[in-house]
Amino acid sequence: MREIEQSWVGGSRPRFDTAGRVRGMIAHVGDQAVGAAAHVAVHRATQPHARIEAVHVDEALAMPGVYGVVTGADLYKQLGDRLLTGPAFADQPALAHEKVRYVGEPVAAVLAADLATARAATDAIWVDYEDLPPVYDLADALAGTAYVHDELRPSSVFGDLKHLRGVRDTNVNYTYNLRTGDAEAARDAGAHTVTGEFWAPPTHHVPIELPCTIAWVDSGRLEMLTTTQTPSYVRQTIADLLDLPLSRVRVTTRPLGGSFGAKMYDRLEPLAAALAWTAGRRVRVTATREEAFLLTTRHGAAVSSSLTADAEGNLVSSVADVRYDTGAYADVGPRITAKSGMVAPGPYRIANARVLSRCVYTNKPSAGPFRGFGVPQVTWSHESLIDELAHELGEDPYAFRRRHLLREGDEAPMGTRMHSADFVGCLDAVANAIGWFDPLDRGTGRIRRGRGVAVGVKAVLTPTIANAVLQLNQDNSATLLISTVDMGQGSDTIMAQIAADVLRMDSRRIHVVRADTDATPYDTITAGSRSTYHTGNAVRRVAEAMRDKLIGLAAERFGVPAEEVSLTPDGPRAGSHEVTVAELVHGHFGARGATLTTEANYTSSWTPYDKETGRSDKVTEHWFAGAVGARIAVDTATGRVRIEHLAVAGDVGRAINPTLVEQQLSGAAIMGIGHALFDQLVLDQGQLINGTLLDYQLPSIRDLPDQLTPIVVESPHDDGPFGAKGVGETGILGVAPAIANAVRDAVGVRLTRLPLTPESITMALEENQ
Amino acid sequence: MPRLHRPTSLAEAARLLSTLDNPMVYGGGTAIQILVKQGILFADNFVDLAGVPGLRDVSVDAGGVTVGPMVTVRRMETDPEVRQVVPLASAAYRQVANPRVRNTASVGGNIAHGDYRLDPPTALLVLGATVRATSVRGTRDIPIREFFVDFQVTALEPDELVSGIRIPAQPAGASRFEKNSSLGENDWPCASASVLVAAGRVQIGLGAVAPTPRYVTFDAAGLDDQGAVDAALAAIEPALDPIPDVRGGVAYKRRLARVTVEDAVRGAWKDLQDA
Repeated sequence: MREIEQSWVGGSRPRFDTAGRVRGMIAHVGDQAVGAAAHVAVHRATQPHARIEAVHVDEALAMPGVYGVVTGADLYKQLGDRLLTGPAFADQPALAHEKVRYVGEPVAAVLAADLATARAATDAIWVDYEDLPPVYDLADALAGTAYVHDELRPSSVFGDLKHLRGVRDTNVNYTYNLRTGDAEAARDAGAHTVTGEFWAPPTHHVPIELPCTIAWVDSGRLEMLTTTQTPSYVRQTIADLLDLPLSRVRVTTRPLGGSFGAKMYDRLEPLAAALAWTAGRRVRVTATREEAFLLTTRHGAAVSSSLTADAEGNLVSSVADVRYDTGAYADVGPRITAKSGMVAPGPYRIANARVLSRCVYTNKPSAGPFRGFGVPQVTWSHESLIDELAHELGEDPYAFRRRHLLREGDEAPMGTRMHSADFVGCLDAVANAIGWFDPLDRGTGRIRRGRGVAVGVKAVLTPTIANAVLQLNQDNSATLLISTVDMGQGSDTIMAQIAADVLRMDSRRIHVVRADTDATPYDTITAGSRSTYHTGNAVRRVAEAMRDKLIGLAAERFGVPAEEVSLTPDGPRAGSHEVTVAELVHGHFGARGATLTTEANYTSSWTPYDKETGRSDKVTEHWFAGAVGARIAVDTATGRVRIEHLAVAGDVGRAINPTLVEQQLSGAAIMGIGHALFDQLVLDQGQLINGTLLDYQLPSIRDLPDQLTPIVVESPHDDGPFGAKGVGETGILGVAPAIANAVRDAVGVRLTRLPLTPESITMALEENQ
Repeated sequence: MPRLHRPTSLAEAARLLSTLDNPMVYGGGTAIQILVKQGILFADNFVDLAGVPGLRDVSVDAGGVTVGPMVTVRRMETDPEVRQVVPLASAAYRQVANPRVRNTASVGGNIAHGDYRLDPPTALLVLGATVRATSVRGTRDIPIREFFVDFQVTALEPDELVSGIRIPAQPAGASRFEKNSSLGENDWPCASASVLVAAGRVQIGLGAVAPTPRYVTFDAAGLDDQGAVDAALAAIEPALDPIPDVRGGVAYKRRLARVTVEDAVRGAWKDLQDA
């Protein structure tokens, strides 16, 4: 492959910014000089659920260097109910103003000359509380004796939540129902049923870069530089919050140092905007590592479920009761509840399915988006159940799954057909990789080996909108304007590859402009593995429009019909006619440095699911299919699991950049190892007790598998750019159940609660004896 | 933020400790920086030992090793003479945290921290080290087995600093250091053990399984390997008093302590037979 082609689709071009990221030569938001700004620190609630009687700020205000102290009541006076924001429910105030709903909730903000002063002053604020009955967990919440919110407040973002407005006396803010056939009757009549009570705990994203927002007012406009995956959403939120036209709000970003869902929707931005606007000052709001744990979490989820086979071993019924603990604020929990609930039966041919999926308020830090969007929690259930059912039937867990997996064209239980979702190919690939068909050395002494597999399915966020603007410079370089945020996943690199492939140019000559809502066009969000497909399609289209434009100009110049002109890496050609792009554009404008501009849109569509049945013939634009295989060794004395080989496969349609795809699969798998073995937020009576990096566990280099094999499966999507789909979440879906299934194979115990700590394994072994 | 003081002699350091309000000795700073960041360390003045000459010296003689308080953990791990004269201590220092921390953390700060989960104290207990403590009132020697008084409390007076550690030469025999974590591999240990089998005795230093590091010993004359393991498990039983936390409950921590000690005793016993 020539160097230029290596930079196109299918070429493993290195990320353009790797060296800068590794060497610290890229400026992140927190690195920006802010000049004369007020530094903000937040006083946080000490009670899980309490009415705010009074906030005493005099002592803090008297401290030298303190510019001001702002309470939730102060903001509410100015902004009214607009203070309450959120993507699904307008339920979260930037500062608590009537009551606090979790330990650590922001109650008052100190603006000071420097951060140390601001932080010191937060310790001089006292709050009088009247305690309310706390709702610590799902059981408390569903008991229905105390309510986190007096009434439900759906936001205007999602029209389908309107019917929930004003509903009182509940902690359940959203319910998704799936009804296909009669699953309960099929279960009761079935020959073999396995059941489980599954639990996946809340976890935190722990991106390396901490969140930071700088906001200021310029010429009557609110401008902001912030760490966000969702600049277009934030612009709308701030416009609503301050009652400004969109044209008077500007949201800009810098490259993010990781995010995984932690920097989405309403994080520091509403507070920064409200403070900058009401105080008329430039403000800088940041979070310490310890505060970051309180900003958002992955949903803890309980799943009570069953899977039933008839006497011939056909799957006849799947039943699941799914409860997502969304904490004090709904955030995007209702969306997670539906999107994950609908795949709770798993990627299998099952005649009858019933899912009840609920999003539940508790007095905990709010849970929101996290790589996988709630699907790993239900995958934990369905991949444990089908494994156990295979064991009960005396069948090979790999072969049993393979027999029942959905194929191209099959309709899933929620009514949508499969396309470009090669579950069988993924499962085969990981089984082969870990040596499923070879004899296994089961170990000696206290070491016992086992193997496990798991399959996962996830829908892409739909419907969504992507736009792209391309400026071709006269020197045959280009500037691509999109609002996708590069968090390290490499989107700026692959978007350039897509455009360059269409334009037959070197992708390294394409600069991708960082999201700036004054300049880059609307894009729904950078999340849900949607960018490669959606924004990638917009980029492909904008490049095709540019190609057509160039060919038109060349046809004019050559005096031939456009159909006779082709675009080559050396410029447009038609028979003996040839011209370079630089000559062509210069000739057209008669000016050096001139630009040609094109724009394009890509919008995906869906059929909203039926309220009663949860079914839809097109619930998503496309599917992610993934599989994980694990070979592990359990030390039965300590309970410790050593992963000897982890293979992770994902159907990506077509890999725009195979190396980056492999890195996404591997990175997701490593994150999944943490969730499987030790990663969890531990709360005691609403108080987070391991919210520091000394206590919170993440996989270190020593926890990695002895061998980690990412496998790219390509089943091209008819409408994907060059057949491509996203891959950011595919690798994480099945990691925990694959490891748990391997533990089951190794030592014969079935664990249903994550994480699989050595303690839980030794306890299960003791109970088994 | 606390004020930082940089004395240039031991006497000046001792004087600062006796006169400043709420002072704390600053060694490598690896633990202090984390505690400061978390807002759970309250000192008004740091007395940094980095500028005091001689505190990074290591001297080795036939009788043992004398190390200054500012000697890095990494040096204890890698110094060929230290490894030869007190191999058990060197093995324990080798398992502290990670290389970046070991390059900065000091041996004096390590024991003064007094945390029950630290690795080096287990070996120092077995080897019968002596802690040299200096203040304006003079210098005194504290046997390491009397040094760890209670949960994160040592025998040091508020105005004293660790001015050296003397580790007697390890007797002929065999030794092992083992540790196990319960969550991430690189996490704080959930149980650690230093074991020395020499002159018919087994000596064991235990970490992370009680509010302080613990020391037990028993006569192993006439025992075979299984007998030694059984005797070791019986000997440690009264010393186990684990603190339940996110890393495990009491029962699991006791189990892990037993596995760790068994592995260390069995390993040392095997080394002795193979020698």
